[in-house]
Amino acid sequence: MRALEPLHGLRVVADPAALDRVSWRGDLDVTVLRVAPDEAFAIGARSVEIDDTYAIVEEEAGFVGAWLTAEEFEASILPRIEWPLPEERPSIAQGSIAGVPSKLWLRTTGGALLVTQAAYADELAGRLR
Amino acid sequence: MTEGPTSATTASTAATAADGAKSGRIVVDGHPIPFEPGDSVAIAMLRAGETPGSGGTLCLAGDCGNCLVQVDGVAYVRSCQASPRPGLVVERHPPVDMPPLPVVTDPDLGVPPPGRVVAVRRIETDLVVIGGGSSGKAARARAKRAGRDVVLLDAAAGDEVVAIYGGPMVVVRTPSGMLHVGARQIVVATGAAEIHPVSPGNELAGLLTARAAERLHAAGLDLGTTVAVGTPPKGSRYEIVSGRLVRFEGDQSRRVRAVVTADEAGEETTTLCQTVVLGLGRAPRDMLARMAGDAPVSVVGSAARDIPLPPPPTEGVVCPCSGTTVEDLEGAWDRGFQELELIKRATLAGVGTCQGGACLPHLRSWIAARTDAVPEPFTARPASRQITLAEASAGTYIDAFRRTSLHDEHLALGGRMDRFGGWWRPWHYGDHVAEYWAVREAVSLGDVSTLGKLVVSGPDVVEFLERLYPCNVVDIKAGRSRYALLLNERGHVIDDGMILRDGETRFVLSFTSGGAANAEMWVRDWIETWGLQVHVLDQTMSLAAINVTGPLARLLLQRAGLADPPRFLGHVHADVAGVPCHVMRLSFTGEAAFELHHPINGSVELWRALMELGQDLGIRPHGLKALFGLRLEKGHVIVGMDSEMDSTPRRLGMDWAVRMEKPFFIGKPALARTAPLPDHRRLFGFTMPGDAPTEGSPISSGGEIVGHVTGSWASPLLGHAVMLGWLKRTPFPERVEIDGREAVVASTPFYDPEGLRARA
Repeated sequence: MRALEPLHGLRVVADPAALDRVSWRGDLDVTVLRVAPDEAFAIGARSVEIDDTYAIVEEEAGFVGAWLTAEEFEASILPRIEWPLPEERPSIAQGSIAGVPSKLWLRTTGGALLVTQAAYADELAGRLR
Repeated sequence: MTEGPTSATTASTAATAADGAKSGRIVVDGHPIPFEPGDSVAIAMLRAGETPGSGGTLCLAGDCGNCLVQVDGVAYVRSCQASPRPGLVVERHPPVDMPPLPVVTDPDLGVPPPGRVVAVRRIETDLVVIGGGSSGKAARARAKRAGRDVVLLDAAAGDEVVAIYGGPMVVVRTPSGMLHVGARQIVVATGAAEIHPVSPGNELAGLLTARAAERLHAAGLDLGTTVAVGTPPKGSRYEIVSGRLVRFEGDQSRRVRAVVTADEAGEETTTLCQTVVLGLGRAPRDMLARMAGDAPVSVVGSAARDIPLPPPPTEGVVCPCSGTTVEDLEGAWDRGFQELELIKRATLAGVGTCQGGACLPHLRSWIAARTDAVPEPFTARPASRQITLAEASAGTYIDAFRRTSLHDEHLALGGRMDRFGGWWRPWHYGDHVAEYWAVREAVSLGDVSTLGKLVVSGPDVVEFLERLYPCNVVDIKAGRSRYALLLNERGHVIDDGMILRDGETRFVLSFTSGGAANAEMWVRDWIETWGLQVHVLDQTMSLAAINVTGPLARLLLQRAGLADPPRFLGHVHADVAGVPCHVMRLSFTGEAAFELHHPINGSVELWRALMELGQDLGIRPHGLKALFGLRLEKGHVIVGMDSEMDSTPRRLGMDWAVRMEKPFFIGKPALARTAPLPDHRRLFGFTMPGDAPTEGSPISSGGEIVGHVTGSWASPLLGHAVMLGWLKRTPFPERVEIDGREAVVASTPFYDPEGLRARA
């Protein structure tokens, strides 16, 4: 199992319609996890333009993650999930993995980005070992 | 084992008694004994002249608990179902009492003891068929013809079904680990079990059911002089003893030497023998079906047949697992336990290893003879088989406890970590009294990263917070904060924390560590219910927080670059030791205190810088133990520790935090309705000389228990014990007894009642 590395980016809570039209700026490859209709975590983003006066935009360093290949995902993660994954790709899935609250960014390649809060990092890594 | 509609064969992954190792030796109670191909452990032992278990009728079909042994350290294993392999260590259970439990040698409860991890597989299918006999195979064939996915689970092939849960889900023990099968439908085709005899002497060795005898005969065992009672196995050459079974007689080695029967006239006949084969009929093996509840389960074959019950027992052991005798049943009946479920609970018949597999037909028959009505079988519950804790917990996980970004710093400082409010937190660093004095006299750091932290923003945010909290919100100025209770609709305190105003339409809310998750849901639910425009961002795990507290806290922060720390209940965004922080001035310890909320990736840097800068100031970190004492001296309530599920602000002595003049807040109608009513419960402060009593200690008055202690602390500064506790009888006494000593009700805070130090 790959090590869980810190994920840095921006977390934004805003009007869902405004989030749909948001413009992210940052590292070359910004990965946006839309964890709720009104909330997104944009990994790699450094700034954002959003049309919502009341939007909450915060730098985020509280998550860790690992990019997994399809083989790694099937071997390490799938056996530890007790809930149905969405069939659509790419898509976000959220729930317990090995009993630890986690998120998955499921890619079209079959691989996935495994994400959890840094506070759970050791616990999740230990359970996936 | 798994078989789809197009697969051609049934393939179990299991290694079984039938297809186990070719031959070899196992070790039984320290002595090697050989086994032959196809032997189970039980048959290998019988072949060697040993008795598996400590006596009683052997069925060799897994239905009873008469062949239990310990296998490779695991107790309560049916030796008839266990496969031998060279070197397998078998130990018989003690003839009386239970096998010893494994000893846990690691006393550190914070560290899970090493244990065997059992793998678990999960599969989904249309149909699960339990039982590989003719009925089970027929059910599978029918389903396959209908194009359905079928999984057939056959205990004889090593797939032991131990439970059916709602869902439904079938839990299976296999030699390669646990298997959890989600199914749309279940067919139970588990056949029938043979009836065990109930008569004096039925605990002797040398008794076999008919099918067990057939099995041993096929394995080539010499059973010695054998007689048969009842319906013998087909084609057997045993002498058949006619008449009613009266008793078995044994020799000094607790092995049968004779069977006594009686004719219709009562004339007894004693027949000498070395083995008795018992063909006493069968009973449906339907435990799994009875366990299924409302799950879509159908029962087929012998398991579904209405087979006549045996004659009611009159003497002897009915339940071999618990040792319950007919005399025990009569005693329970005479005491008024006259239903099957009550008999079970009163005598423990049916609660043992075989879960009624041996005794249930006899119990039903015995009750039917007294009531003229055959009772339904008792409820079956998982697990039907003895499984280890590792097997039971396979695929499940204990709650995940979080670690703050300072976890390793605490360990490096000798922190004794414990679980609290869903987090690992330092309880102390070796000397909680020194930690206490550092707060009272110098400066100390505490890790309060675990506090709940929400950012709320929106055009309706003030309106929302005014409705949510019982205090005023609109008059909190930007850069200021206010302590607030969180009430439910009944006016009960469910959490507390701070409201910090960042701007016109933006606030930060803090909550207790243990209550943060519920508070977040509470906040979101009410925003949605009221249809208000408020955004919520939960930063509980994104931000860490260090509490810098003590009379020298301000000086320390100035050294760290915060030239002008905020005054009491103020807050600013500023860099501290180069780390961007939201600095909040409040106090839970009774001394000046600044909470530094910051991104978790700056925690270690900030913590180390503060510790370094405070070296000459006598800085120490403090853990929860010191913190709880410090807050007790101030009389600060911890919601969830001091409060109860129905604690109102009045009961907690916190009416000052409620503004009843507000037009509305959650809980106001209930508080207004109950305000005129007398109340009989109140949280008080107490003091008494000497050591602090144990938290939870009863509080007595006039010889009656009138309350209990919720928090206690032997105050190093005050020189006596201070406590918070409930009094639940009126009129509230002024003097009480706690821990056998006199204590007095005292007003809080016990320390610095004017709050001058916190505001300094």
